[in-house]
Amino acid sequence: MREQFTKTLFEHAKSNPNIVLITGDLGFGLFEPFSQTLPKQFINSGINEQSMMGMAAGYASTGKRVFVYSIANFVTLRCLEQIRNNISLMNNSVVIVGVGGGYDYGSQGYTHHALEDIAVMRSIPNIEILVPADSFETRELTSYLALTERPSYLRLEKSTSQEFHNNELVMLPGKINEIISGEHGTLIFSGSIGDIALQAAKKLNDMRFFVSVASLSFVTNIDSTYLKLACKKGPIVIIEEHSMIGGVGSAILEKLNQLSLVARVGIIGSSQNNLSEIGDKQYLRKQNGLTIDNIILRFKALVGALN
Amino acid sequence: MEFPDYEGILVNSLPQSNLTSTKIAKESRKKILIISNKAKTSHVGSSLSVIDILSVLYSGAANISKDTIESKTRDVIILSKGHASLALYSVLTIAGFLPEHSLDNYCSNGALLGGHVTSKENSGVELSTGSLGHGLPYGLGIALSRKNYGLGGRIFVIISDGECNEGTTWESALIANQHGLNNLIVIIDRNSIQSLDFTENTLKLEPLEDKWKSFGWNTKQISGHDHQMIRNVLELNSSQAGPLCVIANTIKGKGVSFMENSVLWHYKFPDNEQLVMALTELDLNE
Repeated sequence: MREQFTKTLFEHAKSNPNIVLITGDLGFGLFEPFSQTLPKQFINSGINEQSMMGMAAGYASTGKRVFVYSIANFVTLRCLEQIRNNISLMNNSVVIVGVGGGYDYGSQGYTHHALEDIAVMRSIPNIEILVPADSFETRELTSYLALTERPSYLRLEKSTSQEFHNNELVMLPGKINEIISGEHGTLIFSGSIGDIALQAAKKLNDMRFFVSVASLSFVTNIDSTYLKLACKKGPIVIIEEHSMIGGVGSAILEKLNQLSLVARVGIIGSSQNNLSEIGDKQYLRKQNGLTIDNIILRFKALVGALN
Repeated sequence: MEFPDYEGILVNSLPQSNLTSTKIAKESRKKILIISNKAKTSHVGSSLSVIDILSVLYSGAANISKDTIESKTRDVIILSKGHASLALYSVLTIAGFLPEHSLDNYCSNGALLGGHVTSKENSGVELSTGSLGHGLPYGLGIALSRKNYGLGGRIFVIISDGECNEGTTWESALIANQHGLNNLIVIIDRNSIQSLDFTENTLKLEPLEDKWKSFGWNTKQISGHDHQMIRNVLELNSSQAGPLCVIANTIKGKGVSFMENSVLWHYKFPDNEQLVMALTELDLNE
């Protein structure tokens, strides 16, 4: 995803000199074509996320579209007040780009895991949150961000586990993208964790439960039409590589509440059991309850099919 | 005692051509005292220490006026010590950036202006501040963009000495030096008092000028109440290679003897009796 992000942004930046990329001393082997071709549009701020974010806001106030890149925790939690006061309150055109969503940094340890970023960013007004699930969504969302002006947060993962779409993908703002459709219920995911959602759907299919699987990328602008139909259809299970508190699941629950919709909803998010646990992305997902079995169990519980 | 009617002595707005920095500072000091008495708000001492700096900047030392407010190359002034909002707002109303009676309902429900600096469109207020350590990174961003895109103008960021406790101040000092931002001027309101105590009893800042120098900045130390000195130093930077840090030595509560150099007046507002005393002293010192 980060390669796709960089490539797409580079293409836009070549034709739009107002696009600026600021990095917090990260992106080795990633940004060289950008920085060498467009040196005036590239700044390595150094390791200083708070000042970097304030600087990005000031830079944007001069009429620039500023992308600020670092590891997801560093670029959200470490500089939260700068985001709140200098970007959100001042409505500055900054895109915060966090790489390493969820357990992406695996055995690098908890300090590098991003499990609260969406929750925290969702609580800041005036920030649009976008979570791509594969390289095609990343391409579409990066273009969308390059062509618009709103303060935003783009949550990236390093690489994609699998592609959910193809080159034909066109994303409409606020729309949920359905990947497969079924009549008994819906699995909604955000990010690359869609891989286990699809596998769970396959197993449910074997059990004669035909479910839709859909990717939700627009977290702050949730597709009401899709949710209304999903509620009519059956249970909704939301799968996200994020804390169960305040993430995409919470965002959907809040939306349902706002729409006064009655729904059977389950959230499969990280239980954050043992924060010091070491392991790769797949291992840590399993240790924290992000499994195919849990999705199936939850769905079956919601349809009343558990013995 | 009976509360006197001060509306008569308040200069709300003067024609800009007649404004000297001395006149603005004097009227602003009165305004700060009267409004804080009326609104029962704090940070009087912090406002009185910075008022001369603001008065000089907004009376022509900085290239900013109501007419040039939309210009992309005009000078920019950021008051990072947002708790001195009353100082900034007094200057802005007197100098005509803000509507004449903007401060009449200061800090009351539905008012235009409150206790910490809040940016309003085209008012000359660049950034909402209040949490310390935000103004310098932001100003740095504007300065860097101006430099990278070949636009002129200078960026003045006024910080408190207490803000030199904040990590972002020193992060930004590193970044500004790295990019050789000779369009960036930091003015430190060095009144030597922070929230609970004197700065040197809290976190030692001295030798402050050496610290900025060692970060690669040009430095100047002046009296922050001497208008000519402030004006002179602000003309310096254009010929220099890097950013400029002006340490403006000030007195917290300057102009009102019983408020001067006291932690108490970070918090207290003058009661009616104190207000009369303060205004009398200011008038006597004309």
